[in-house]
Amino acid sequence: MPQTTFDIFRYQPDFSDESYRQSFDLEHESEFTILDAMLELQNEQDGSLAVRYSCRSAICGSCAVRVNGKTVLACMTQVEAVKEEFGCETVRVDPIGNFAPIKDLVVDMDPFWEKFKSVKPYLIPDGPPPEKERIVSKEAMQKIYNESKCILCAACYSECNSFAADPEFVGPAAFAWGYRFAGDERDGQRRARAKLYSGQHGIWDCTRCMYCNERCPKGVDPRDAIEKLGGIAFNEGISWGDPGARHAKAFLISMKTGGKLNETMLVPFTNPIKSQLDVPFALKMMKKGKAPSPIPHRIKRLSEVKKLIKNVKETI
Amino acid sequence: MAKFAYYPGCIAEFSSKELNATTKALAPMLDIDLLPMPAATCCGAGDIAEAKPNLYLSLNVRILSQAEEMGADVMTICNVCTLNLRRANKIVKDDPRVLEAVNEELVKAGARPYEGTVDVTHLLWYLATEEGLSLLEKQGPKGLNGLRVAPYYGCQLLRPSSVMGFEDPDQPQSLERLIRALGGEVADYEAKSKCCGFPIILAREAVALKESHVALSQARDAGAECMVTPCPLCHLAMDAYQQKAEEANATEYNMPVLHLPQLIGMALGLDQSVMQFKRHMVSVEPVLDVVGR
Repeated sequence: MPQTTFDIFRYQPDFSDESYRQSFDLEHESEFTILDAMLELQNEQDGSLAVRYSCRSAICGSCAVRVNGKTVLACMTQVEAVKEEFGCETVRVDPIGNFAPIKDLVVDMDPFWEKFKSVKPYLIPDGPPPEKERIVSKEAMQKIYNESKCILCAACYSECNSFAADPEFVGPAAFAWGYRFAGDERDGQRRARAKLYSGQHGIWDCTRCMYCNERCPKGVDPRDAIEKLGGIAFNEGISWGDPGARHAKAFLISMKTGGKLNETMLVPFTNPIKSQLDVPFALKMMKKGKAPSPIPHRIKRLSEVKKLIKNVKETI
Repeated sequence: MAKFAYYPGCIAEFSSKELNATTKALAPMLDIDLLPMPAATCCGAGDIAEAKPNLYLSLNVRILSQAEEMGADVMTICNVCTLNLRRANKIVKDDPRVLEAVNEELVKAGARPYEGTVDVTHLLWYLATEEGLSLLEKQGPKGLNGLRVAPYYGCQLLRPSSVMGFEDPDQPQSLERLIRALGGEVADYEAKSKCCGFPIILAREAVALKESHVALSQARDAGAECMVTPCPLCHLAMDAYQQKAEEANATEYNMPVLHLPQLIGMALGLDQSVMQFKRHMVSVEPVLDVVGR
């Protein structure tokens, strides 16, 4: 049987305000998951070790932890596979990131649920309920299939770089659910949702670090959902107020006028007030030659691009 | 000589011209023939994908089709361009119906349809293989004289790995391999693959400067004498906005930031005037002192 050392984050606030690390040696079956190992340690070596779990089958979303720094579901990650991936004999186990630990590997999920609730994660149809059930085509459901798979494990928040820098950022899983309903043809709140999600700490705050897509154990791709919500905001004409939306708009204008990004227009267009206040910085950039000519560069065969802009229909 | 359709991206062509110039000067030394793409648009940087996803797809496939017509794979020098082009390539290669729909639009617009035969690579990926490293070796590098370099990957050359796939996004080693091969030392730190904040720097500057702080402060604490990045957007966030990050986070980094081709150029003895260090906001002088001009 394989033998593994587990280096585990410990935090027992009943005894001390300080967290510490503790090593455990365990001989275990070769198929053991991280969760199996934690429960074995809890049963056989230290009954005070706290770990959150329920289904053990990658469905309930309770047991996300960081293993060697990488957020995973403890129940679907095998110890031996981790050792092979990282070429190590000692496996580090930590609580998920960006949330305050309550005890050992268990974190306070209240902020996560608040964010989840803030996107109104339920169907809000227009008008009175119909007499019969609403039939939805397979194609229509396919559009929101990915987002429907979310099990709310918060693995995506654990390494979200925007959330780490701004705890008020609504964040990946919540927006995946936002799109799951905004993209549902039975929902009557498409425009209202796009408005709700577009505000400060909303979809335009995503820094596109792609950790959420990388970490999601169910293939939800939350960043793609955020992107689709941006598309809905544009389709609904909610694209002028927020600097994030204006940033995207500047790319569209650049594309139309020359085919390449017009950086000199991008800055004031994105944030007109701030860019005026930021003249000293702009001057420094100019001094270093980092303010290109305001006359847009024009690519060859721009007419093709103009036609694409005119013809291509969005299906979001 | 390896031939590539060269896609420098907008930033390297305009505000970070030093990157484009250095890459072009370096290419012949490394037996790389970079063919210009005068009809290629911006990749949309994720912004067009966010506003108009179908338009994003057709614009990027149009670029891929131009490379196909040239009979070459695409080479980029920007993380964001690499992700956007590779993502579009994957979408149409995975689903022939989508390719057909995109091609219909391309033909209607007078552009060449795409057959799906092109690959997109980044200069870093090309050089970090055994074959690439031997190209550097052939030049007999005068080396970096033990310069302590913090590799900074940023996000979009690593993630999502289902699209990028060159190396393990949690344990990347390509930059480290190059730094060592060029006679430098690696200053390792955890945040080397965290976000620089650039995508939101104009819209949410305060948040972005907290993001760049994580990598800059860790690189400094790891004893790095400079940082190197394969992405001009990361470069802007780390170099041009460094003083702002210092002010916002009440600290100092004093961290020169090099574009990847500049680090290589320095080790191979490329003329300094070509690499245009004077265009950097943070002085590169201390680095030049270590490398020994």
